[in-house]
Amino acid sequence: MAVIELSPQEKRIYNREKPAEKRTLQILQTFAGKRPSIDIERGRYFTESFRETEGQPLILRWAKALYRYAEKATVYIDDKQLIVGRAGKEGRYGILYPELDGDVLDEAIHSLPERESSPFDIAPEDAEYIVREIAPYWKGKTFHEALVKALPEETRRLTYNDDEENTSRYIVNETASFRSSIQWVHDYEKPLKIGFNGIRREAQEALARLDEFSAVDTTEKKPFLEAVILTADAIVLWAGRHADAAEEKAALEQDPVRKAELLEIARICRKVPAQPAETFHEAVQSQWFIQLFSRIEQKTGTVISNGRMDQYLYPYYKADKEKGILDDERAEELLECVWVSMAQYIDLYLSKTGGSFNEGYAHWEAVTIGGQTKDGGDATNELTYLFLRSKREFPLNYPDLAARVHTSSPERYLYEVAETIKDGAGFPKLINDEEVIPLLLAKGATFEEAYDYCVSGCSEVRMPNRDTYTSPCAYINFAAALEITLYNGKMQKYGDEVIGLETGAPEEFETFDQFLQAYLAQQKNLMKHAFIQQHEIIRLRGKHFGAPLASMLHALCMKNCKNIHEPKIEGGIDLGYFEFIGYGTVIDSLAAIKKVVYDDHRLTLERVKVALAHNFEGYEIERQLLQHAPAYGNNDDYADSIGKRLDRELLEFTKRYSQELGVHLDLRYVPFTANVPFGKVVSATPNGRYAYTPLSDGSSASQGADKHGPTAILLSNYATKNYDYRNRASRLLNVKLSPQCVKGETGTRKLVDYIKTWRDLKLWHIQFNIINRQTLLDAQKHPENYGNLLVRVAGYSAYFCELSKDLQDDIIARTEHGEIA
Amino acid sequence: MKGTIFNIQPYSLHDGPGIRTIVFLKGCPLRCQWCANPESQLPHPQVYLDGQKCIRDKGCGLCDGACPHAALAGGALDHSRCTGCGDCLDLCPAQALGVYGETVEAETVLDTVERESVFFAHDNGGMTLSGGEPFYQGEFALALLRGAKRRRIHAAAETCGHCDPTILREAAANLSYILYDIKTMDEEVHRRFTGQSNRLILDNLELLFREYPALPKHIRTPVIPGVNDNEEAIGDILRFLAGRKNCTYELLPYHRYGEGKYALLGRSAPRFPKAVDPDRLAALRSLCRQAEASGAIQALI
Repeated sequence: MAVIELSPQEKRIYNREKPAEKRTLQILQTFAGKRPSIDIERGRYFTESFRETEGQPLILRWAKALYRYAEKATVYIDDKQLIVGRAGKEGRYGILYPELDGDVLDEAIHSLPERESSPFDIAPEDAEYIVREIAPYWKGKTFHEALVKALPEETRRLTYNDDEENTSRYIVNETASFRSSIQWVHDYEKPLKIGFNGIRREAQEALARLDEFSAVDTTEKKPFLEAVILTADAIVLWAGRHADAAEEKAALEQDPVRKAELLEIARICRKVPAQPAETFHEAVQSQWFIQLFSRIEQKTGTVISNGRMDQYLYPYYKADKEKGILDDERAEELLECVWVSMAQYIDLYLSKTGGSFNEGYAHWEAVTIGGQTKDGGDATNELTYLFLRSKREFPLNYPDLAARVHTSSPERYLYEVAETIKDGAGFPKLINDEEVIPLLLAKGATFEEAYDYCVSGCSEVRMPNRDTYTSPCAYINFAAALEITLYNGKMQKYGDEVIGLETGAPEEFETFDQFLQAYLAQQKNLMKHAFIQQHEIIRLRGKHFGAPLASMLHALCMKNCKNIHEPKIEGGIDLGYFEFIGYGTVIDSLAAIKKVVYDDHRLTLERVKVALAHNFEGYEIERQLLQHAPAYGNNDDYADSIGKRLDRELLEFTKRYSQELGVHLDLRYVPFTANVPFGKVVSATPNGRYAYTPLSDGSSASQGADKHGPTAILLSNYATKNYDYRNRASRLLNVKLSPQCVKGETGTRKLVDYIKTWRDLKLWHIQFNIINRQTLLDAQKHPENYGNLLVRVAGYSAYFCELSKDLQDDIIARTEHGEIA
Repeated sequence: MKGTIFNIQPYSLHDGPGIRTIVFLKGCPLRCQWCANPESQLPHPQVYLDGQKCIRDKGCGLCDGACPHAALAGGALDHSRCTGCGDCLDLCPAQALGVYGETVEAETVLDTVERESVFFAHDNGGMTLSGGEPFYQGEFALALLRGAKRRRIHAAAETCGHCDPTILREAAANLSYILYDIKTMDEEVHRRFTGQSNRLILDNLELLFREYPALPKHIRTPVIPGVNDNEEAIGDILRFLAGRKNCTYELLPYHRYGEGKYALLGRSAPRFPKAVDPDRLAALRSLCRQAEASGAIQALI
């Protein structure tokens, strides 16, 4: 047998390397691998405050609740930390957002510790408090309940099961009730530059300019500006309480070195985020306070992103280095102090739907690096390389790192990106300026805004002062549409219930085109209901969610004095989306029917259906014939032309119907981990997939169907895109390579070649898993040895052993590309 | 111009610069006893039956009685009867029946290769002709190389060197990179283990050094236990290469990936069961590094 090449990550695991005893590693060891617990303070103070403010303007109620939290919540100064601030008790913690899902809170609290995906612990007295004090207040008031009521009957049946909790049916799935905003990024630069005192001053000046006889000024703008002022006061108060706590700790501290650190922490917390930051340390602390307070304000799905950190922190880094008060080691240590703080905040999903969308404690606090400057030059700087180095040297899956790539990215940058990817933990993911920027321009952005975009979450992008659309969007199970076509409106799982359109008995279709037309009708029908759903979501959200902090950090919200969640903010660009789940599954199924039934006449459709109904048991000949039909991901026109057709029909639909909603709803192929739960409602499919197993993920090929190596999947992606439409957004693409493929300096160079080609093809996103299949199989058998094994899931990396068995199997099944020959 | 190939393999990383697509041409004049690609040796298409993919145990039997030459029966392929016509291939739902070799137009091959051309743009990626021995089907190989030149595809070839010098000359004129194997300098050993003398091979290599000095030559030696895994054999090769221009050198440890294919072809497995001893390999690599350090050769290990 050949010697297997291991990735650096695998080497660390196999060799049990003991990392050096540095500060941030010591902090990491206090919580790594431990199960998170629930902290109820956020839920408690929000509920208390909301009880008292009923009837008041929503934005002001939110600001008051934040102030209550800032005033009352426990503040922590962690041992050894240089950056302070946490929103929950020691260790990994999750916090409650009862305004979102309070209606399922009491039920969820009991099941969380036992849940297979992303379990949480909770103290019995806290559970009791939730059931007694928090949950009852929100019953009948949550967004989830309002949405269920608002949806027309037919749309509701495609969205929810007819049960008490209205669990998802995973056909036309809404994601608006497990988060109050889609992934979002603030303009962090502004508060670093002018401080919250500066923003507060702006609000006061605007308040003074209001027309006291104007109804709009009095009832809308005034409460908005008051909320801004109160929120600025809240965050400053909260930071000040950290200063107090640090001073108290310093007074008791015996070690003079730590005492000095604590006093420095206190000094910084008195200063930022109230005032402008002046040093790198101050800027990092200020930014952490802002993003953490933002996490307390609302549940951004999933976790607020960090924006272009190598850009807005660079002036502080540069100035400190020039002054000689900062070296790279210290800068890295400060950043790692933030990474370990991020790693302790766990995004808690109460609902089963939320949990299954975001397995392995998903998080997308994307830190964007590289890319271009506002005037279109290359933006890479020394801090960019520091982020990459930190990612290689610090064994943690926080933060999620996203590297922008463009045609003039320096070779050093591409090589260091490739070296970091080779480490095997899945970082960074890559986002392509050559695809993203033209699309942003086509949707009305200026060049300056488009060049300055940042990655938001999984693979989406934002222009922090121009994007204004925060409504979470629909995830549509088009594999279900295919099943509905096969069974003339029904699905195996739901028996005689007519779920979709009755497009006729497919056994009677004489041509493949008839079959395709029937499928397209079903596809269109699901789109119709997704848009109805979205329309209601847009209308409802402004009535349920306030976000004074997010709004005050947005130029257009400040200008219009409007809550970011209002349906329309003048001057903004509303970039929403809808999600294709099961792309490879649907293409391959249609290609198999075309090939086996209509072109080669090897099987009748009747026969295919019999085999499917038996989940291929006793029908292996049929399964093999179907499975060997042309498949997406092999640069084969037979399958790819079908994929392009599906893509085009969807683009045409949204081009026609999203305008009347006043937004861009763009076609995306980004599954989170939803391809697993969505697969659980779809019976066997004509591509040979067994019933209720995962669907294909993102724009990747069906599991194991790509047999022509990693170049073919890029080419199939390219071939299935309709570049003449602007109504498209991210296509998430996972590529798994064996470490042998990228071995040594030559391997790095060839990975760079591959990345450059991906860029040339104008594909949106790509991420890599560089790992051996044997390692994953062994990790399933012996999880105890693989606590640190990180794998790329879907836009984020997670610990393999924290994923459910289904998802683990799915990752193993994604084709590993070795070099053949 | 038609020829017989047995694979077109994209995303190849170790057969020339950049990301490459390899075209495997069928037919080889040598019969190396360690050959890892036995399906490459004969020039004509060869049908195989892969028992691991066969689903006969699940009630299939579609190929029973399907062969016009009665080579298929009871889920087994009688290679002595098989003519390689391929009539049976489409019947098999599991693709357990397959064929090594397909006779195709050179332009069709190039069309397929060119589909990957976007990957060739960086780092001089392109097409590599391999085999078998690519120059065994000399005119076909030349057609591919001329076509590649016209299409601006960077072309490389990996050859055993046992070929018609006229073909090699014109090929070299159309190549940007050549990978050339030397198994051993010892003619007797060479004859014993490959069935052919190494004279032509060494003469052809001299020809390339003399007439095509600018063509980058990457010389490789497959390290075979009991054949050339000793300092003397490798030392001879290093001495032969010393001072040559535009020349890099690499040792390729023998592997047994090809073993399963012998069975599919109805042949017995090769006679070299064990891998190269790691200490031997390390010693030979260090020999190469010494030669590199002395400036005699440019080693690429």
